[in-house]
Amino acid sequence: MMKRVLPIVLAVATVVFIWIAWVQSGGIERHRMFSARSPEEAVRLLLTAAKSRNWDAAYSRLANAGEVEKAAFARDLGGSNGSLRTYATLENFNVWGLHADNQEATVRAKLHYSTAVGPLDDVRDIKVRNDGSGTWKVVWPTSKVPKLAPQVIPVNYLRWDVINRGAEDDWGVQNVDSPQVRIVSMNALQRPDRVVILGEIVNEDTVPAYVNVNAALLAPDGSPVAQETSFDKISHTLLPKQVSPYRIDFPGMKLQQIKSVRMDAKAMLVPATADPVIAVTQQRMETDALGKKVLRGELLNQSGQIVNIPHVVASYYDANGKVIWVSDGYLDQELLPQIPVAFAVDLPDDVAGKVQTYHVVVNYYQKNNS
Amino acid sequence: METSYFRRPIPLAAIILLALAVHGPLLVMQLPLNTSYDANFHIFFASHYAQHWFDPWNGKWFAGFSQTTYPPLGHQWIAIFSYVVGLKMAYMLVQLIALLLLPVGVYRFARLWVDERASSYAALFSIFLGVVGFLVYSAGQLSTMLSAPLYLLALPYFYDWSRNGEGRALLKGVILTLAAASVHHVTLLFGSMLFAMPVLWLACLDRKEGRSVFPVIARAGVFAVLAGIGVGIVLLPYWIAIIRHPIEQMPIPHASRSNLLMNMTYFINYFVVPYGALILALPFILWFGSSNRRLRPLLLAFWFAFLFGLGGTTPVPKWILGRAFDILTFERFTLWAALLALPIVGLLAEVMLDRYQRVAAVGLSLAAVGSLTLSLGWLVWSPFHTLGGMKVDSVVEFLNRNGHDRYRYLTLGFGNSLPKISTYSDASSVDGEYNSARLLPEMTHYGSAQLTSSKYFGTAGMESLRAMLKHANYYGLKYIFVHDPYYEPLLAFAGWRQIESYDPDSITVWSKEDVPPARKFESDAMPAPWEGLLWGILPLASSILAILFALLLPDRRRATESVVEFPAASSEGVLAGEAR
Repeated sequence: MMKRVLPIVLAVATVVFIWIAWVQSGGIERHRMFSARSPEEAVRLLLTAAKSRNWDAAYSRLANAGEVEKAAFARDLGGSNGSLRTYATLENFNVWGLHADNQEATVRAKLHYSTAVGPLDDVRDIKVRNDGSGTWKVVWPTSKVPKLAPQVIPVNYLRWDVINRGAEDDWGVQNVDSPQVRIVSMNALQRPDRVVILGEIVNEDTVPAYVNVNAALLAPDGSPVAQETSFDKISHTLLPKQVSPYRIDFPGMKLQQIKSVRMDAKAMLVPATADPVIAVTQQRMETDALGKKVLRGELLNQSGQIVNIPHVVASYYDANGKVIWVSDGYLDQELLPQIPVAFAVDLPDDVAGKVQTYHVVVNYYQKNNS
Repeated sequence: METSYFRRPIPLAAIILLALAVHGPLLVMQLPLNTSYDANFHIFFASHYAQHWFDPWNGKWFAGFSQTTYPPLGHQWIAIFSYVVGLKMAYMLVQLIALLLLPVGVYRFARLWVDERASSYAALFSIFLGVVGFLVYSAGQLSTMLSAPLYLLALPYFYDWSRNGEGRALLKGVILTLAAASVHHVTLLFGSMLFAMPVLWLACLDRKEGRSVFPVIARAGVFAVLAGIGVGIVLLPYWIAIIRHPIEQMPIPHASRSNLLMNMTYFINYFVVPYGALILALPFILWFGSSNRRLRPLLLAFWFAFLFGLGGTTPVPKWILGRAFDILTFERFTLWAALLALPIVGLLAEVMLDRYQRVAAVGLSLAAVGSLTLSLGWLVWSPFHTLGGMKVDSVVEFLNRNGHDRYRYLTLGFGNSLPKISTYSDASSVDGEYNSARLLPEMTHYGSAQLTSSKYFGTAGMESLRAMLKHANYYGLKYIFVHDPYYEPLLAFAGWRQIESYDPDSITVWSKEDVPPARKFESDAMPAPWEGLLWGILPLASSILAILFALLLPDRRRATESVVEFPAASSEGVLAGEAR
C-alpha cells in the first residue's frame, strides 16, 4: 500500500508546493501580462522588457514602431553619451490608468531607477492603443534629437595647471599653502527628521580650490555628538572668487540636543578650468503636477564638449539675504553643446513661502576628465 | 563467487584513487582560485589564523570583526598547511581532503541502507556529482564540502550506538560530530537534522526483534545531549558572538532564495547544473525509496532536502525556517539532497547493471561524467563570472607603501578579489565579504552585501555605499580602488579625486585629502582572551582526536547486509536486516 501511495503523495505535494510558490511569485499576473489585454498590462510588458534592457522586446510592444527608430527608442530609455541614464537600472515601477476608452488610453508610470549617484524617480504619461484584436500596444512619443550645424566653438576660458607634484607624491602633498576659502554663511535648521546645516563657502584666493565642508554637532559639554560632511551637496571645485552653497544633514538629530556647531572647511590647490561654462536660464519657482514646489530652469552647455552628468545645487534666500535652504538634483540627460536641457529641483513647502531669491551652481562629471 | 566486474562491489581504495585522479589535477591547477566565489574568502580567514592563532579579532574588514562568527577548523587546517605549502596550495589541499573523504563518507553512510555493492556505486557517483563540482569550483564552499563527509562518517556511529549501545561508537560518533561542527555551523544546525533523523528512524526499524523502541531513542538522546554539550563547549566563542550580536541586519537578496521557475538562468544554475543526471533518476528515487521500507526514512529526508534546495520555488523552506530563510543560501541543501539520494541511486545502478551490464555501465558512466563536466562547463557558459582571479598586485603594493596602511580603503567593482587584497595587504577596509560579521550600521541597515559590489544590489547597495562614503572621515576611509567606472561619478561628486591608475586604467585609485588616519574602534564584539584560547585549541583538538580515534580504535565489523532485489515481492517486510 505505502509503496504506491508514498511516491504519489510526495510527487503531488511537490507539484502543489511549486504551484503555490508560483502563484505567490506573481506567476499568474506574469502570464496574464504577456497577453497585454489591458492598457496597464501593455505598459507593464514594455517596462518589464526595458527593465532587463531587452530593447528588441520592448520595441516590439510599440504601436507606432514605424514612426520611432529603434536606436532612438533605446536611447530614450537607456540613455546615451555617458548620461546618468546610462548608469541607471530600472529597478521597479508602478502603473495606473488615467483615462481609457475602447481604442486609446493613457497610463501613468512611475519609474524608480537605481543610478550611480543614488535613486532616481521619473513619472511618464504613456499613451496606449488597442490594435483591434484586443491587444494593447504603447504609442511611444516621437522625439527628435536636435542636431546643430557644424561650427567652431573657440575655447578661451581660464585654466590653472599645477606642476609641482612629484610623480611619487600623493595628491595633496604639494608643499604649497592651501587656497584661502571662507565659510560666508551658516544656518542650522531643525527639520522633522534631522538637523540641517547649510550656508555658502567662497574661494577668496587667486587659485582654484578643492573644498570639503565638515560639521560636528557639539553637546553642552563640548563633546562631538555627530559628524557629517557636505558630501555631494556642494560644488567641490571652486574657481577664484567662486561661491558654492553647501548642505550637511544630520539624520535623527534634534537641535535641542546640541549647544554649538564646529565647522571645518578643508581646501586643496588643484588644477582646474573654467570650461565648460554652463549657463542657467529660465529660472522660476513653480508647483509641479504632484503639487510640490520646485525650482525649474534650463541648463545650456556653452562649450563644444559633452557634459555627461550635470548636477544642480541651488541655494534659496529669504528677504534678509540669509540662506534658508539648499537643494540639489542630478539630471539624467547629458548636456550636448549649445542645446538647452530643462531641470527641476524641489524644496520643502514650508521653506518655499519664505524664498525671495535663489542662486544655482552647476556641478558636472565628465568621463575621462574627473 | 561472482566473477563479473558488473556484479562486484568496487573497492573503496579504487574509488578514492579515482577521486584523487579526477579532482587532484583541477586543484593542483588551483582552479577554484579563479572560478569560485568563496575560495579567496576562506584563504583570508586562514591567513589571519596563520598570523594570529589565538586572536580571532580581525581588524582588516568592517573596521574590525570577530572570526568567532565562523567555525574555524577548515581555516585553521589551511593555516597549518600554509606554513609548508603556502596559503593557496594549503586551501587546495584541505579541499582535496574533503573531496577524498566524501566517497568514504558516502560509502559508510550508504552501507546503513543498502548492500556493499550499491554503496560502492553511491561512493563512486559522489565523485562526479554536479553539485560537488558546483560547490567546489563555482561556489567555493569549502566548509560545506568538508563538514558534509565528516557528518556522514559520524552517522554510522550514531546508528551503531543508538541501535546496539556500543560505547566506542558513541565516542567516535560524538567526536566526529564535534569536528564537523567545528568546520561549518550551518551544516550543524540544519544539515545534521536531515541526516540524523532518518538514521535514527532506521535504527528504530532495525532494533533487535521484540525489543522496545525506547532504548534506541534514549541512546540517540544521549548522543544528542553529549554532542550538544560538546559543540556548546568547542564552539563556545561562536555562541557568545551570536547571542551578543544576533543577525538582525536587513535581509540580503540571494538568487538561491528566488523562485527558480521565474528565471531560466537561476533554474540552470541552482537545479540543472547541481543535479545533473540525477534529474533523470528522480522518478526512480521516488519509486525505489517508497518500495523499500528501510529506505523510506531516507526518501523522506531526501524529499525535504530537495524541497529546501529549490529555495523559493516552493513555500516550504520559508514556512519552516521563517526569518532564517532570508539569511541562508540554499545550494547546500542540494548537496545534502544529492548525498541522501545516493544510496538509492546506488541501488538503481545495481539493478541496471544486473539487467543491462555493459550498456548500463556505459550509460551510468556517461551520466556521471556528464554531470561533473556540465558543472565545470557552466563555469564558462554561466553568465555569472567571478573576479577571484583578478590581478591585484598593484593595489596591494600601493597599500603597503608610504604609510598608506594608516588609512582604511574600499574597493569598488572588485567582487570576490577583495579578500585577496586583504590577505596580502596590511591595510584595513570598511568592507568585507562575510555578511554575518557585519556590524557597521552603514551596511546592516540597507539590505545589500559587499560594498565592492554595491551596484548589483540596486538602490539598497548604492544607498549603503553613499552612507559609508558620507562617514569616510569617521572611519579614516581615504583610498578607494575602482575597477568599474560605474562608481566614478559618485566619487567625483562626493569629493574624491583620482590620483593613480594601473593595468592600463582598469584600476583607478581615488583619494580624499581631509580624511584623518584610521583609528581603532572598541567593540563589544571583540572576543575575550580566554575565548581566543578556546578557539585556538578546542576545534583543532576535536579533529586531531577524531583522527587518532580513527587510527587507534578500529571499528567493529558490521556483518554484510542483504537487500532484496528490486522490485521486491514483499514490500512491507524488513528488506535489509543486519546479522551480527
